[in-house]
Amino acid sequence: MLDPSTAAVRTEGLSKTYGSNQALRSLDLEVLPGEVVGYLGPNGAGKTTTIRLLLGLIRASAGRAEIFGIDCQSDPVAAHRRLAFVPGDVSLWPSLTGLETLHLLGRVQGSVDLAYRGELIERFDFDPSKKVRAYSKGNRQKLILIAALMTRADLLLMDEPTSGLDPLMERAFRECVSGARERGQTVLLSSHILSDVEALCDRVAILRAGRLVEMGTLAEMRHLSALHVEAEMDGAVPDLSGVAGVSALKVDGNRVECQVTGSVEPLVAALAASGVHHLVSREPSLEELFLAHYGSADRDRDAA
Amino acid sequence: MRRRDRYGRRRATTVVAVTSAKRAARPGVVWGLVFGVTIAATMKSYTSSFPTAASRANLLRTFQGNAAFEALFGLLRHLDTVAGYTAYKDSMTIIIVGAVWGLLIATKLLRGEEDAGRWDLLVAGQTTRAGATAQTALGLAVGAVALWLPIAVFTAAAGSGSGIDIGVGASFYFATAMLAAVVMFMAVGVLVSQLASTRHDANLIGGGILTVSYLVRMAADSDSRIGWLRWASPIGWIEQLRPLIGSAPWAFVPIVVLSAVLVVVALRAAAHRDVGAGLLPARDARPPRTLLLGGQAGLTVRLTAPSVTAWLAAVGITGFVFGLVTQAAGRSLKSSPTIERVIARLGANGAGAATYLGFVFLIAAGLVSVAAAGQITAMRGEEDTGHLDNLLVRPVARWRWLLVRIGVGLGLVVAAGALTGAAAWIGAVTQHAAVSFASLLQAGINIVPPSVFVLGIGVLAYGLWPRAAVAVTYGLIAWSVLIETFAGTSRINRWLRDTSPFLHIRPAPAASPDWRAASWLTALGLAAAIGGVVAFARRDIEAA
Repeated sequence: MLDPSTAAVRTEGLSKTYGSNQALRSLDLEVLPGEVVGYLGPNGAGKTTTIRLLLGLIRASAGRAEIFGIDCQSDPVAAHRRLAFVPGDVSLWPSLTGLETLHLLGRVQGSVDLAYRGELIERFDFDPSKKVRAYSKGNRQKLILIAALMTRADLLLMDEPTSGLDPLMERAFRECVSGARERGQTVLLSSHILSDVEALCDRVAILRAGRLVEMGTLAEMRHLSALHVEAEMDGAVPDLSGVAGVSALKVDGNRVECQVTGSVEPLVAALAASGVHHLVSREPSLEELFLAHYGSADRDRDAA
Repeated sequence: MRRRDRYGRRRATTVVAVTSAKRAARPGVVWGLVFGVTIAATMKSYTSSFPTAASRANLLRTFQGNAAFEALFGLLRHLDTVAGYTAYKDSMTIIIVGAVWGLLIATKLLRGEEDAGRWDLLVAGQTTRAGATAQTALGLAVGAVALWLPIAVFTAAAGSGSGIDIGVGASFYFATAMLAAVVMFMAVGVLVSQLASTRHDANLIGGGILTVSYLVRMAADSDSRIGWLRWASPIGWIEQLRPLIGSAPWAFVPIVVLSAVLVVVALRAAAHRDVGAGLLPARDARPPRTLLLGGQAGLTVRLTAPSVTAWLAAVGITGFVFGLVTQAAGRSLKSSPTIERVIARLGANGAGAATYLGFVFLIAAGLVSVAAAGQITAMRGEEDTGHLDNLLVRPVARWRWLLVRIGVGLGLVVAAGALTGAAAWIGAVTQHAAVSFASLLQAGINIVPPSVFVLGIGVLAYGLWPRAAVAVTYGLIAWSVLIETFAGTSRINRWLRDTSPFLHIRPAPAASPDWRAASWLTALGLAAAIGGVVAFARRDIEAA
């Protein structure tokens, strides 16, 4: 039984340094039981490092990491009994068939829902009789997904799990993750497929240069982020550059696009004074939120 | 042909050839040096071990007409000369090892690249499937030349020594004859890489062709009435060249024709088949075989079974051959005071079958330790490929995984030692040599401790510095063999001598085993292995 008071994943000041390169800097992360959390960041941000630290495959330079209260650095075997891992770059024993691999990994894990394994094989349209070396990248990914999902583990750690899957299989994957959430399983999903994260995740964490720069629900993040506004004026577009909270201004004839941070009232007042014909505003998509962080990373680099 | 365009970029038409040449030439030079040094050492040891006409005549009388030796090593001719002895002692070994290397390097650069998916990138560039295959064949040819050069140079240099008198022409002819096996089996490798859909299967087919060639040659050499059968075997053709014991260059005709035909057929096959597939139907699907797949230990046994079986077969055959020649070799030792001196320096006295066995069991100790080193390569390979991650992200303790691996290594070296002894006894009994099963089994067990030590040091290196583990392990073996060689031929510093684990055991059955020293060696090896396990449990697992 899951103890709702114990975090599924908790890290405190977790850091990893390779020589002079700080891959992860003092990460404080908490994932609650039953949550599906998206873990985002550009390449080299530290996502895979975090997951390998949680798996106990690499040693932390500082800080601690726990899976359901178990220190996964000092007792990885106990932690592994509660989790299943899906890597993005799968490397399996080429001489074993798909079914032999599932049999082996299931026996090593210790517990497998065999009926569910059969269901997953059908759902992912997977032929388990072939040798691993004969599988395409997508089929190897299906194999490792089935191997993880069939365990019904309390925590699913997924690092680019849909890498190489076609759209139909991506849909099957989403259904599986939704099903896992309904059963109370916890999912930490690292992915660049932002539509997957947007569709599946309760909360999102964004990592940049080894630091956690944002964590919250999508609604919270949108609330704190800029609103996208498009307006069509009756006449000429007024000068909005001095209006409080307005940025990313683009004017094309009598059309204007901009971002607004904070209250929209000053912008609406300025537009109304010049005769606004049509006004549309929308919250930023996850992609825009994410790119905003990329943008600030670029600015940091330029400034440096 | 211009190799670079006007922007200084290497022309796409030569990239595959240049890359393949580099990858084939490096090991080619190494093997050429090994063969060259072996040939030079054989010539040198013959002149010092058999310095008089009488001792050479005795050697000739001992071995001449022995059908078993001729079946194993080829025809015995002119054993009373340096050239004849060198041809008998080294030719067949160089031919077989060279053929195996030629086959493996060809399948590695062709089918191995396809298995890894890199071939797709190559043929997606400015070349064709046949073009890339032809360029690789060209690169392999460079590797063959790289192997030929050291053999030719060492043979000519040693051949010019006093009392040897092997001319430069004869040396180059001999080197070219030895190269023939490499070239033919490179061509076989190029073709089987088109036939099979995996490198493993390509090696199996190529290995089968080599085995049949050897067996046909063996049959031809064992009975003069079917000597014509030699023309039915590529290895027999090399024998027909009569390197160092005559000259019959017309036998190059079938060698050149076969190599050319195999490459041309391979190029046509490469042009007409799908990349990633072979011409032969692939056995990619089969019913599940879950034997030994109940856990990590069973998986380790299943994964290592082919290499363990191959090693046991290799040491078994080696032990059998040692036993087979015991009687005759023991007799010839009696006429050689030099060999007596060498054996005395290595810790035994006297001459005869037991002394010879004591000497060759020290060589077998090196072979068994290479088998142990192979287990370190396998461990490293599991981590390097990322296969290990699949176990360590599940409830498998690192120490447990490594202990199972060490257990397999220990099992292999103990079995290899015992098998060497038992097989040597069987070989010796067929020649009516007076050696007991118990003494040879004891001699076999006696060579295990150095391998345990090598295995332990390898595990320690793997735990502390995984990227260097393979180099450290093989480096230790190479160093130890070098020290053992020097210790046999000259007086060396005691501290230096002690750095070789092979010199801490006594040459049983020529001398009683020193179980105390053997226990120390074993204990040190096990302690190093435990240190390696502790370090492995604490270090980062490298990402694939």
